[in-house]
Amino acid sequence: MNFFNRNNYLISLTLFLISLFTGSYLAISNLKSSTEKRNLSIKNGNWIVNPKMDLKDDYQRAYIARIGLFALDDKEALYFLSSKDDKGRLLSSEYDYELIGLAPKGRYWSYTLYGDDYFLVKNKVNKFGINKENFNPKHNIIISSTEQKNNWLPSGNEKQFHITLRLYNPSEKVYKNLESIKLPIIRRLEK
Amino acid sequence: MKKGLTYLLFVGLTTFFSYNLTIKYLPNFIYGVFHYKMKNDHNINDNELKFYNLPNDKSKVVVMPNPDFLYVVSFYDLRNGPLNLTGKMPDSTYWSISFYKSNTINWYVKNDKEFKDNHLNIVLSKSTVDLDLNSSTIIKSPDEKGVILIRILIEKKDEESIKFYKSIQKSISLKKIL
Repeated sequence: MNFFNRNNYLISLTLFLISLFTGSYLAISNLKSSTEKRNLSIKNGNWIVNPKMDLKDDYQRAYIARIGLFALDDKEALYFLSSKDDKGRLLSSEYDYELIGLAPKGRYWSYTLYGDDYFLVKNKVNKFGINKENFNPKHNIIISSTEQKNNWLPSGNEKQFHITLRLYNPSEKVYKNLESIKLPIIRRLEK
Repeated sequence: MKKGLTYLLFVGLTTFFSYNLTIKYLPNFIYGVFHYKMKNDHNINDNELKFYNLPNDKSKVVVMPNPDFLYVVSFYDLRNGPLNLTGKMPDSTYWSISFYKSNTINWYVKNDKEFKDNHLNIVLSKSTVDLDLNSSTIIKSPDEKGVILIRILIEKKDEESIKFYKSIQKSISLKKIL
């Protein structure tokens, strides 16, 4: 009976609200690492790919909704994402990068840069990606904030950015070898 | 002492449930925010199509848009009957139709190669409704509400191509079946 007096009620209400907030905060801040820990992403070098986009696992679904809302089922497209270069350093427009190697075979592929907020990177020439059609196979892709002659992917002015390789209708070989299929190396160019 | 333990248990349990509920319902929440934005900022009601231009750095509606795609989006609501999605689609580039539940699960996707021809004619109905329409592909939605997303790929971004694919995009329509 004593427990329900006014003071106890106020303490309970305050603790309830704090706990609600703490639970939600922990959930959102742990989402990415939890997903990785639970092996819901497949790692291939510094790239990660999320197969089974329709997975019933709540963590996977929440993770995808946060960074790839309305992404396609993996039967249709694969999304490889990287935020680091080949030495594990975060990608930043303070540096230039070279993508060494080709994208795996698929009906359509493209590279797109996203800022830390996962929206397209602002740049002077309004170029946001390189795809199968406008890629010059004689040269590697250069990610840089300054204009390049060939296969330039502008990195604008982003403290940190992410690169996505989309692969639509990839071959069976890609699905079977997600951990080992050869993906481009992201190498930082020394200035 | 007893009181302190009660509070501690109370805090632990509430945090635990709050953590798990956030993970479970975050997709529905994000979907809800998107739905609200579409309705209020873009004046798009349910069962209406929104035709988007090629995404750029100002496109802030959905994270990670593909800058090579023209998107068509609609929030469908089948409570007042089935919907008919029609259009003359391109025959020279990738395009696809996908449907999502309100918890963001992609429950249906079909691309241009999987359709018989480039004449799109889909009837979307509730799973409990039986329809007999010979000329259309009937798709039964697991839920009454969800999202339709159409993607049309533009690999070459010259003015002529963009104009051509935009005219195709605008040919798509969504109507209630009376």
